[in-house]
Amino acid sequence: MTIKTTLLAMAVSTFALTGVAQADNIKIGFNVPLTGFAAADGKSALNGAELAVEQVNAKGGINGNMLELVVYDDQASPKEAVPIAQKLIEKDGVVLGISGSYSGSTRAAAGIFQEASIPYIAAYAIHPDITRAGDHVFRTAFVGEVQGRAGAKLIGEMLGKKRVVIITLKNDFGKSLAAGFKEAAAKFGIEVVSEYEYSIKDRQFGPIVSKVKSDKPDAIYASGYFFTAGPLVSQLRSAGIEVPIIGQEGYDSQKFIEIAGAASDGILITTSLDRDSSVAETKDFISAFEAKAGHKVDMVAASAHTAVHVAAAALAKAGGMDSAKLRDAIAATNLLTSIGTISFNALGEVQKDVQVQVVKDGNWHHHSVISDAALLAPPVK
Amino acid sequence: MLYVELTIQGIVQGSIYALIALGLTLVYGLLRILHVAHAALFTLGGYIGVIVTNQTGSLTLAIVAAAIIVGLVGMAVYKLAYEPLLSQPPYIALIASIALFIASEELYRIIFGPYGLSYTVQPMSGHIELFDGFRLKYVEILVISMSVVILSVLGYLSLHSRMGIAWRATVTDPSMAQAFGVNIQNVRYLNFFIGSALAAIAGVLVALLNNFVEPTMGSVASYKALAIIVLGGLGSIRGTLLAAMLLGVIESFGTIYLGHLIDRDALAFAFLILVLMVRPQGLLGAK
Repeated sequence: MTIKTTLLAMAVSTFALTGVAQADNIKIGFNVPLTGFAAADGKSALNGAELAVEQVNAKGGINGNMLELVVYDDQASPKEAVPIAQKLIEKDGVVLGISGSYSGSTRAAAGIFQEASIPYIAAYAIHPDITRAGDHVFRTAFVGEVQGRAGAKLIGEMLGKKRVVIITLKNDFGKSLAAGFKEAAAKFGIEVVSEYEYSIKDRQFGPIVSKVKSDKPDAIYASGYFFTAGPLVSQLRSAGIEVPIIGQEGYDSQKFIEIAGAASDGILITTSLDRDSSVAETKDFISAFEAKAGHKVDMVAASAHTAVHVAAAALAKAGGMDSAKLRDAIAATNLLTSIGTISFNALGEVQKDVQVQVVKDGNWHHHSVISDAALLAPPVK
Repeated sequence: MLYVELTIQGIVQGSIYALIALGLTLVYGLLRILHVAHAALFTLGGYIGVIVTNQTGSLTLAIVAAAIIVGLVGMAVYKLAYEPLLSQPPYIALIASIALFIASEELYRIIFGPYGLSYTVQPMSGHIELFDGFRLKYVEILVISMSVVILSVLGYLSLHSRMGIAWRATVTDPSMAQAFGVNIQNVRYLNFFIGSALAAIAGVLVALLNNFVEPTMGSVASYKALAIIVLGGLGSIRGTLLAAMLLGVIESFGTIYLGHLIDRDALAFAFLILVLMVRPQGLLGAK
């Protein structure tokens, strides 16, 4: 009887405590793939977002209220993302949502957040339609086209390579990168010799490698994620193809270097995180992330970390949880983050510099920065 | 020259397909079960291969360990998942198999982590230079020669060993074989052991080719191996081998010349449909 009463009392007090604590917390929704094929990126994104929440809360939260991340696994699947977005808005009552997920699920969730007039920030999903969902949707990553144009400048102007083969990952990420690259190619004197496509499930590129070899290009522009790009780069190099290979933020992980091994040396990518940055925000982020996650930092972690900081800064500025004020505060963002100073254009697309990183001695390092505002202008509609 | 290279790439890929699909066709021939979870054993083989190589530095040991461990796991899959369902219609076992496969992907993710694994020092990373700058990688030579040797030895044993004869008798007529004193249970265990060990070896080889294993590594193998055994003529071993090689070569050329129209994976099924329209029993299947 005594035990029962004690337990009951404990249960009641725990409930009361959490009840009180939750009333004061500011809830941010976070959909992220924690199982399925995108689980690796999801795990990094979650670590990045959690780190940002910890950093904000360690500094006293938002006007004394603690941030709380409400996390759901969307398996990078649109059909999971829709009920999750509804649950976050209706059941959890989040003040805003952040996507730590891929384009398919982010696009599906964006419409739901827009309809409910709750702000939604895509951390690294790149499909152009995401921000077109409406004025409450923002993105802290480049759309594919912008990064593709940066790739063209890097190859045609900065490296001076003109005969280029494009190897495209056949999904919205790879396709929009290729589109941006081809759009700007002529401007930098690039001749696209040929273009090959592969599916996200491919890990063996033997036929493409053989054909690229016979094309004898000056450089290769290849889109992909670390798990496709690692095998691809390694197979290109082991077939004796020595020309520069240029990738993008999908490569941006230590895993890429592990998979490609020695073949990764000298690979260039356009991305958003500068490993050798002297900016305090970036340096702190890199060391804190590595301490928390136990592995090297990657682009998705930095993007999720940035999205949470954008949300936190807007919450502080809006001075409350009013959705309209919060939206306006996000739209007016001008913030120094772990990926540099960012702001949003009228469509909610991020405006920032492109970082070029290069693999040297088994690590990503600074190569150069592309800060050509006209070239990097994101779409406005 | 390009055609030669593409053909060789196709044969490398076809050898991998053959090793994977053979286990599947063995199970189908014996039990009439579509063993989708076979691809999960292929993934497990890849993981064991990378882990053992990284720990001991010996690729040979890794291949042997992967084959034996995964072979035993394959026997356990039969004992625990399929044997209790043998009296049920075959689709019940198929559902169990699909469930097992999905669960295994998540299990690998939980055990080995979501990021996948690579060899710390990639074995067999060299190559020989053949002609006109054409390179054949050691790994590719290993893939082709291992599948040729393994499949020839198995073919010989099935014709000339007691166990092989018992196995063929059981496939042809289980009750008659039993009446002649063949222990059907042992034949089934052996069948699962060999089929799973082959998948494990394929897993180690794919891990070598890509320097990467990941939880979802079996997802393509799961349905493509099904397409191959249907293409070959369900249960026909020679048909399976032929289909595996043909598909490897067709994919190799298709990736380059049809890549803009049709996905590499869709190619397998387009080819499958074409063949089935002409030969509903598959390439070498019995009518």
